[in-house]
Amino acid sequence: MKIIVPIKQILDPSGITFRRDKERMFINREEYILDPGSKAALEAALRLKEQADGGASESGWSVVALALGEPHADDALREALAMGCDAAYLVTDPAFKDADISVTVQILAAAIDKLGRPDLIVAGRESGDTGAGQVGARLAEALDYAGITDVYALAVDRSSVRATRRWGTGYAAVRAPLPAAVTVAPEAFPPRLPHGARIMSAYREWDVPVWGLEDLDLTEADLSPRLALRREGFPPPLETGEVYRGDPDSVAQELVIALRLQKLIS
Amino acid sequence: MDFSYLDDWMEEEAGEAIEEVGEGYRHVWVLAEPAGGAFLPATFEAMGQARQLADQIGVYVYGVLLGSSIEPLGQELAAYGADKVLVVDDPRLAEYQPETYTQAAAELVDRYHPEILLLPGTPLGNDLAPRLAQRLDTGLMSHCSELGIDLAERLLQGTFPVFGGEMHHTVTCPQARPQIATLEPGSFRIPYQDTYRSAEVQQVDVELSDASGPLQWLDLDATVALPPVPLAKARIVVAAGRGMGDAEGFALVAELARALGGVVAGSRGAFDEGWIAEEQIVGVGGEFVAPDLYVACGISGDVYHYFGLQDARFVLAINPDENAPIVKLANMAIIGDARQVIPAWLEALAD
Repeated sequence: MKIIVPIKQILDPSGITFRRDKERMFINREEYILDPGSKAALEAALRLKEQADGGASESGWSVVALALGEPHADDALREALAMGCDAAYLVTDPAFKDADISVTVQILAAAIDKLGRPDLIVAGRESGDTGAGQVGARLAEALDYAGITDVYALAVDRSSVRATRRWGTGYAAVRAPLPAAVTVAPEAFPPRLPHGARIMSAYREWDVPVWGLEDLDLTEADLSPRLALRREGFPPPLETGEVYRGDPDSVAQELVIALRLQKLIS
Repeated sequence: MDFSYLDDWMEEEAGEAIEEVGEGYRHVWVLAEPAGGAFLPATFEAMGQARQLADQIGVYVYGVLLGSSIEPLGQELAAYGADKVLVVDDPRLAEYQPETYTQAAAELVDRYHPEILLLPGTPLGNDLAPRLAQRLDTGLMSHCSELGIDLAERLLQGTFPVFGGEMHHTVTCPQARPQIATLEPGSFRIPYQDTYRSAEVQQVDVELSDASGPLQWLDLDATVALPPVPLAKARIVVAAGRGMGDAEGFALVAELARALGGVVAGSRGAFDEGWIAEEQIVGVGGEFVAPDLYVACGISGDVYHYFGLQDARFVLAINPDENAPIVKLANMAIIGDARQVIPAWLEALAD
């Protein structure tokens, strides 16, 4: 059983201050972390492997982390190795700078083809920064895999994957044949801490191969983003400390208007 | 109602209005979700947005229904703004299959060329939209909390939160068509239901591959422990404290939560009174929440409770005591008895 986990490195939000009043984002500390959604995906994949073989990777199970990003995404992959992955690959190229989701999926699909198509792809439901929540489902379509999104519980056997997923206003259980791509809910797979000894060996012993545009048989002309960023904006500064008193009916009227203006209720 | 004169009129108008890029792509579609024979509110929110966008560029709103035995639902979409309804009624669409639904929707898009396609951001919409966008090789603006049109370029602009809502991005899809967006449920107003409106409901046959899809829907396994209603993820939390007085008072809080589309929670006091379960306690030793809106009803707001809600974007307190800690900490406070304010609020919401 081979599992590929596409992961992402993001800017550490705790190093950023968002000032709504100044409509600016201040990066106090430019540090990068392994995205929480990716961590949950790694956790889910590693649990599957452990449940199947008690952690012995000899028995034909492998969990491979694959990152598309800047060269420093290498750190995220080392962390994935320290969590327990068997191999890690970095895809990076200056030409990927303006990649949108369509391009990201195109590149990831090419890298997955080069790695050899897995039985299962486990991705995070969405990332902690841009949070579009599209990569997993788009990969399923691009590779012609069965797909299940927003998964809270996961199990695999030789030929199928069984999942409990969010559905309607509750949950539903589904089974899909392999190969399949699933996305997992971060709240359902709190990640393990990397093993101390493995952190050292993740840097000393493992190689993280780096692939660029040419390694994937792509050219710059192949990459055409579909979405264009128009602008960045900030929600309006929140009113603070306002106190209403008096007759409940008129207060309620004012309240509903105020909350709708703030787009807090519809 | 006969709208054919509009067709003639728009045919004349369309010539110069349409940009080269979107040549031949017109009208705004909503892929409605007939979940178990009734629409989720998110579908109506999408209808309302579709109507506004369509009016700005002078085109029709189409409701699109995929499913089995769903034709009777078509007219309901008219009341919320649809001019036409396309129905694909096929037993193979009875249950959701990502591949089959993608196939049906992509086939409709290829045949009728909508300019804009909106989907409610429900679990189904969030599953189908990326798959469909990938199949159609177009962009998807997901989790939109605001939509608009750039009239100069005739482009849909989708705004969605990034960095957990601290910032917004606004994007367009300049070349590829259709322009697809999913709408975050609860972000848009449900339009006025005009039962006098009617729409032409058209049955469409679509070639679907004969094999049933690969997804098998099973019974939920009760032995799998699922996270309870994810309080930590709720967008709106309505919390009760001892100040609600009795179970009747607490029922008001639950009703308010329902009306706002939020989740019920409470202080440790509410748990002690037996109104809420242990998982619903907000605060130290309970849950930590980070909703957009936190409504504290009859909660004085000691520091233990406040720790649990300090990541909320907006805190509204309803409390008779203006010296209560929660009043000082809240973004907005109503000095009054929640048992009187909530009924008035519910009434104001209904207006």
